[in-house]
Amino acid sequence: MIKVVFFTLLALIFFYIIWVNNIFAPHETYEMPIQYKKIVEDERYVKEGKQLFEQNCQACHSVRYDAVYPSAVQANPNLKALQEQYGKVLPKDVYESTFYTELSQLKESFGKVPPDLSTMYIARGKEYLFNFILEPQKVIPGTSMPPVMTGRPEDTAKIISYLRSVSEPPPSEKAKRTLMGIVTIAYLIIMGILLWVWRGKILKRMGLH
Amino acid sequence: MLGRIGRWIDERAHISELWQSQMVDYKVPKNLTFPYAFGIMALVAFAIQIISGIFLTMYYQPNVHTAFDSANYTIMKEVPFMWLIRQVHAAGANFFLAIVYLHIFTGIYYNAYKKPRELTWIVGFFIYFVLLMTALSGYLLPWGQLSYWGMVVTTEIPTAIPGALGETISVWMKGGYELGQITLGRFFGLHIWLLPLILLGLVGFHLYLVRAAGISNPEGVEIDKKKEGVPFHPYITLKEGAYVMGYLAVFFFFVFFYMHHFLPPDNFEPANPFKTPPHIAPEWYLLAFYTIFRSIPSKFLGFIAFSLALLLLLLLPFLDFSPYKSARRRPLFFVMYIVLIISAMALTILGTMPPTPTNAMLGLVFTAGLFSFFLSLPIISIVEWGWYKARGGDKT
Repeated sequence: MIKVVFFTLLALIFFYIIWVNNIFAPHETYEMPIQYKKIVEDERYVKEGKQLFEQNCQACHSVRYDAVYPSAVQANPNLKALQEQYGKVLPKDVYESTFYTELSQLKESFGKVPPDLSTMYIARGKEYLFNFILEPQKVIPGTSMPPVMTGRPEDTAKIISYLRSVSEPPPSEKAKRTLMGIVTIAYLIIMGILLWVWRGKILKRMGLH
Repeated sequence: MLGRIGRWIDERAHISELWQSQMVDYKVPKNLTFPYAFGIMALVAFAIQIISGIFLTMYYQPNVHTAFDSANYTIMKEVPFMWLIRQVHAAGANFFLAIVYLHIFTGIYYNAYKKPRELTWIVGFFIYFVLLMTALSGYLLPWGQLSYWGMVVTTEIPTAIPGALGETISVWMKGGYELGQITLGRFFGLHIWLLPLILLGLVGFHLYLVRAAGISNPEGVEIDKKKEGVPFHPYITLKEGAYVMGYLAVFFFFVFFYMHHFLPPDNFEPANPFKTPPHIAPEWYLLAFYTIFRSIPSKFLGFIAFSLALLLLLLLPFLDFSPYKSARRRPLFFVMYIVLIISAMALTILGTMPPTPTNAMLGLVFTAGLFSFFLSLPIISIVEWGWYKARGGDKT
């Protein structure tokens, strides 16, 4: 019995450390005041965030998964025809080859093409984005990202709220997924219990218990 | 009507006879413990990977330009329910390997590798090895930063072999001097066709061998199946069926509510050959080998050490020639088994930590612990032969 408890605990602790919360690995943490976190999570600010994005970020950055392209690309008359052919989200190779001139101009100004921000919310997290957008030089010294949003934490949070809405499924979809998860798990547990009870009855009849 | 169709088929295919002879008349020991269910759980995990993988190939594009978008836009956002398939496949790979590790350590604990089951163990080892290759090749496919740089590090490992050989193997793996379309194409082909087919064959053979050599026993004694055994169906099928339901409940909890580890955030950034991420480490299932490789100062010796760890695992049935089976009857073996699992877990966790001198030192200590298990087995066996003879050949 002691062995069972020992081995079970050891396995559980091991997988907890490896999969859920690795207390030994280094973590980079960034501070973010709670009121701005609330803005990021709030669905109402997404629309405003998109407008702020268009005013402050779109000159250089794209959000390809939302069919938002840098201003120079957006001004190119080819874009509409391509979107009719490929759908709103252009394949990356088509996008990069058609708008080569516009993208190389951006590359000349910044040393590299400013990254696409479609998945940045998942990749970096809101705390990192918040700190980086507010004061780029503090987070990555020597970065070519200009301090566009310095001193405007609320607007920054709204822009991050827009990026979140691109990366994450909409709230109605999220609620559906949660429900799906709960139903699936409940079904499996109930089936497991029924199987166990049924087994007991069968074994009793066979005289094996 | 359905019953009549069933009977019509059965008269020709004799399926019920097969069921009766292979499932009901097949007798197994009554005292099989919970860890024996890891085998069937691994089989379920394998089936989940194949089914979800088939659906993923319908939308995934093995092309360096579109791979990332096909995984993160088409699959995750555009096609209904494909997000679920991808999450099942990603979490499934981790769970498959976790269950396989638990299955291996169960096998070691109950000495399931000893005569007459040596071949079962050897085939099982190759399943494990091919599984690692499958996991590695699949990890490249989303073409994110972690995928790309993880593979850069992996294809560097063979260069530890001195001379032109290591370099040649590395170039052959990559299909060139750097990772690109050719690499992605060949790893895609390996991941969806060659490696799963090999796995399927090996798993089939492994299952046949479990039947042919008989299932092991927690008490380490071979039972007389005609007198002591219980029918495999329904005694074991329903018991392990209930366990599998529990396993799937835990699995789907992670699929729906905690994908943070299985689809790591860093991999949601497209592969960028010009930007090395700050921490590159392989996935958790390779970290023990990685730590052995990293802790030893010489690259070549590190390569030899982790190859040796794999080789010793393969040769386990021949290192241990004791007349006794199962850790329940072998106190010395039990102590060394504890050393083994603590070392293996510690090496894995050390792999996630930064490579400081202290960690390298700890890595060497636990590497020594890992090897001491394998190297102590012949000594333990000799001691136990002595006990066996002193007891006059009594195995209990």
